Amino acid sequence: MNWGLLFESYVNVFTSAQVIGMTLLGALGGILLGAVPGMTATMGVALLIPFSFGMDLIPSIGLLLGIYCGGMYGGSISAILIHAPGTPSAAATLLDGYPMCQKGQAGKALSIAMFSSFCGGVLGALIMTFLSPLVAQMAMKFTSAEMLMLAFFGLSVIVSISGKSIAKGLISAFFGLLLATVGQDPTYGAKRFVFGFRPLLSGFSFIPTLIGLFAIAEVIAGVERIISGEEKQQKSEEKITNVLPDFKTIKQIWLNIISGGIIGTFIGAIPGAGGDIAVFVSYGFNKSASKHPELWGTGIPNGVAATESANNGCSGGAMIPLLSLGVPGDAVTAVLLGAFIMKGIQPGPMMYVNELPTVYRVFAALMLANLAMLIVGCAGVRFFAKIVSVEKKMLYPIILVVSLLGAFSINKSIFDVGVCVLFGVIGYLMNKYEFPLSPILLALILGPMCEQNFVRFVDVNNGNFWEILNRPIAVGFFVVSVATILFSIYNQHKINRREAENRKKADNA
Amino acid sequence: MKKTQSKAFANLICSLFLLAFEVWTYIETTGFRIHKRAHVQPATFPQIMITGMFIFTVILFVQSLLKVTRGMNEFDPDNEMSASINPFTHKGVAAAFFVIILCILYTYLFDRLGYVLVSACISIIIMWLIGKRNFVMMILVSFLVPLIMWFIFYKLLTVNIPMGMLQPLRDFVDKL
Repeated sequence: MNWGLLFESYVNVFTSAQVIGMTLLGALGGILLGAVPGMTATMGVALLIPFSFGMDLIPSIGLLLGIYCGGMYGGSISAILIHAPGTPSAAATLLDGYPMCQKGQAGKALSIAMFSSFCGGVLGALIMTFLSPLVAQMAMKFTSAEMLMLAFFGLSVIVSISGKSIAKGLISAFFGLLLATVGQDPTYGAKRFVFGFRPLLSGFSFIPTLIGLFAIAEVIAGVERIISGEEKQQKSEEKITNVLPDFKTIKQIWLNIISGGIIGTFIGAIPGAGGDIAVFVSYGFNKSASKHPELWGTGIPNGVAATESANNGCSGGAMIPLLSLGVPGDAVTAVLLGAFIMKGIQPGPMMYVNELPTVYRVFAALMLANLAMLIVGCAGVRFFAKIVSVEKKMLYPIILVVSLLGAFSINKSIFDVGVCVLFGVIGYLMNKYEFPLSPILLALILGPMCEQNFVRFVDVNNGNFWEILNRPIAVGFFVVSVATILFSIYNQHKINRREAENRKKADNA
Repeated sequence: MKKTQSKAFANLICSLFLLAFEVWTYIETTGFRIHKRAHVQPATFPQIMITGMFIFTVILFVQSLLKVTRGMNEFDPDNEMSASINPFTHKGVAAAFFVIILCILYTYLFDRLGYVLVSACISIIIMWLIGKRNFVMMILVSFLVPLIMWFIFYKLLTVNIPMGMLQPLRDFVDKL
């Protein structure tokens, strides 16, 4: 660790008006979007990424990290006030947050959520700062065989947590990998699935595809829900009084914050495992470690602290595989990876050799993003509480026109607007029939990495792919990947059986 | 509920569509250029992906077929009512399809009418479609949001966005 350079990077980031401004803007956008039920941090990043085009790398990364951290906290606002988590990562916050609101402690719950999110985020950023160089150092020894299996591992984890049906998750992943092959092949330049259509030569642009899958698909589905009467307008009448928790409350929750932050960071570091898993693991761990587990779920500050610190800890954790291995930890970091590539920087172990100042600035930007979230959160908590009541009838058309403009602005191409609409339709249909979308996104990122390393490895070994069996780390990754998929199948089977039993019980009752 | 309305039946139909898609894409890959000295052909990787997709589609097909033909436990999640894409029986789906058509029209008209105008039109239509009736607010929001977005992209991010009939507005902003 080069401490002098790290300090210098922190000074650079924390004194740059552009980086501070963009990070604050990102945090504001993230909290606003996260607070609206149904709008996720992924969608926020997708919507705001086009705004980062004209900027240098660090301000644009600051903007995106601001959205990421802000979105994680924003989800808790609607979870606490209206019992509807704004983001999947806030699903466990409502277990204690909403009962606190019902007891008339909405302000206290929101202030705990914000403070815990900040602490969890800072903890995650610190762990990331010290851990990711070690992982990168290890990854320096990786060759094409290990990188191929690493990409496979990333996909296997994504697939294993992506919904009720593993088969559907795997179909989505392979579909995404297939989409990644559209255009010219990277080795010989042969045209694949181009159908004589020139714009397809460079394949599907990542950002329009992302905007289509996550924003346009949501708008189409939202319109359907409104017309079918499935989407009800939600309102919060709560008055928010306090902005930060008092010392007595902090003393009560600090252990939950630390354990939640650590759990969140390590779960976030597993490719594919995101905040939605971390919050439940953290909640379960803290509940079982508590002297009064019977109070959990009745509206206690510890429950809010344990979950909110975990979901923001994830942001630091998810950056570890992104920066050190070049493998995104979740959908948002997949977008961040796209942003890095767009700026001509390839995350991975070599980044720690060639772009060390950039790596350190990214560390500092994540710290700044957490601070920005706290500042914006404190300043606007009363206003954000109103956002949960925003009228979707106005919001959806706005999202649509902003998204389509974002898709256009990448290459100033109408073709990209068409791609965005096409993937919007695909995303809408896939959502309807419960095919998960995240594997497609990650496959689009990991696909080229998979193919290039596959071709390189087979070429180097004169066509003998089975030479990979002599690479113990690669075999290790493969075994872990297969084990993850098998475990997930078993786990999903168990969940389905338990759900069926619960339904049976509810029916009998 | 009829068997044909269950999620299992929907999965069965989905898997049939997917199988057809996979066969078609595989046939397409056979037309890719071949490099005689290459160990890995341009078609190899897509073919592996299609094969993977095919295997799991077959699994989904068999699972769904067994559930549909043998019958399902009452509490099986696949025994629930499936989502519909029939616009004639579900007005929500019809509205969603209408939005898709609007998006396609939007893409076609983007260059011709310009971003601000075409965005304002689509916003007003969608707001009206989903039941918003405050016309002053609708028109204000529908024009202001694209205008602000255009301004941000044009002036701050220096992205040139088609303005179509509103081209004089850009000239006016340039003069300012």
